[in-house]
Amino acid sequence: MHIPLWLVFAMVALVFWGITGITQKLSTNAISTGLSFLWFGVAMIALALVVLPKVSLDWHLAPKDFWLAVIGGTLNSLGAYTSFAALEKGGKASIVIPLCYLYPLLTIILAITLLHESLTRPQMAGIVLALVAAILLSQEVPSQTDKAL
Amino acid sequence: MVTPPVKTARKRIPAWLVFSLLTIVLWGVWGALTKVISADIDAYMNQVLFAIGVVPVMAIVLLSGRLSGGISRKRGIFYAFITGVLGGTGNIAFFMAFSEGGKASVVVPATSVSPLVTVIQGYFLLKESASGCQKAGLLLAMAAIYLLSL
Repeated sequence: MHIPLWLVFAMVALVFWGITGITQKLSTNAISTGLSFLWFGVAMIALALVVLPKVSLDWHLAPKDFWLAVIGGTLNSLGAYTSFAALEKGGKASIVIPLCYLYPLLTIILAITLLHESLTRPQMAGIVLALVAAILLSQEVPSQTDKAL
Repeated sequence: MVTPPVKTARKRIPAWLVFSLLTIVLWGVWGALTKVISADIDAYMNQVLFAIGVVPVMAIVLLSGRLSGGISRKRGIFYAFITGVLGGTGNIAFFMAFSEGGKASVVVPATSVSPLVTVIQGYFLLKESASGCQKAGLLLAMAAIYLLSL
C-alpha cells in the first residue's frame, strides 16, 4: 500500500496537535487562558529561534510571500484567542468547540473556488466523515456535577 | 382594536457566537492561505514567519491584563510552553504536507480530527472516559483518514 508523503506529514501534524489538546488543558487548569496563551507564544518564538540557524533560510523572499506567512501566524493565533473569548463570553464548551471545528468547511470552499482544487469521490466522503468525526470527538464527557444539573 | 406591541429591539447575536464564527473564518482562511504560500516558502521558514505573526496577538493578550489567577503558575507555564513547542512542530509538519503536494481541501480536514489523539491520550494517560460520541468519532476519524488518502 502506497502512503503519500503529504499524508505522513499530515498525520505527524495531527499527532502533535492532538497532544496539545491535553497539554493545553493541563495548562489552563493551572493558570489563566491569557497567561497560557502568552507562554504558548513564547514557545513558538523559542522554536523559531531554534529552527533559524539549522535550516537554509531564503531571505530573498518576495515581500508578498513574507507578509502572507506572517499574516498566517496572526490569523491562526487570533483564531485561538477568539475561541477562548467565545468560551469566556458564556458559550458552552459543548457548542463552541464543535462549532469552531467546522473551520475546514471554509478552507474547502476557498480551496475549490479560489485554488481550483478538485476532489475524488472517496475524498469527498472522507471530508464529510472528518467533519462529523471532529464534531463528535470535540464533545466533552459531562462531569458528574454537569450530570447532576 | 388592540394592536399587538411591536418589538422594536432587535435580537442581539450573542458575543460567544460572534467569536465562534470569527474563529471559523480565521482558521478557515489560514488553511487556504498556508497552501498558497507553501509553494514558495520552506516549511521551517514558514514557521519562523508564523511566530512573528503571533507577536501582535501576544501584545493584545498582554494589554488585556487578564493574566492573573490560577492554582499553580509554574505548572501552568510549563504546560503552556510545551503546548507551544508541540504546536509549532505540528505546524512544520502541516507546512511540509502542503510542500509535498497535499491539497488544502484534503490536508485541513484530515488534520482537523486531531482530537482523536487527545481523546486516546486522555483515556490512557489521564484515565478520562470517552463518551459514546467520542468513540463513534474515533471510528469515523480513522475511516476519514483512509478515504482522504485515496
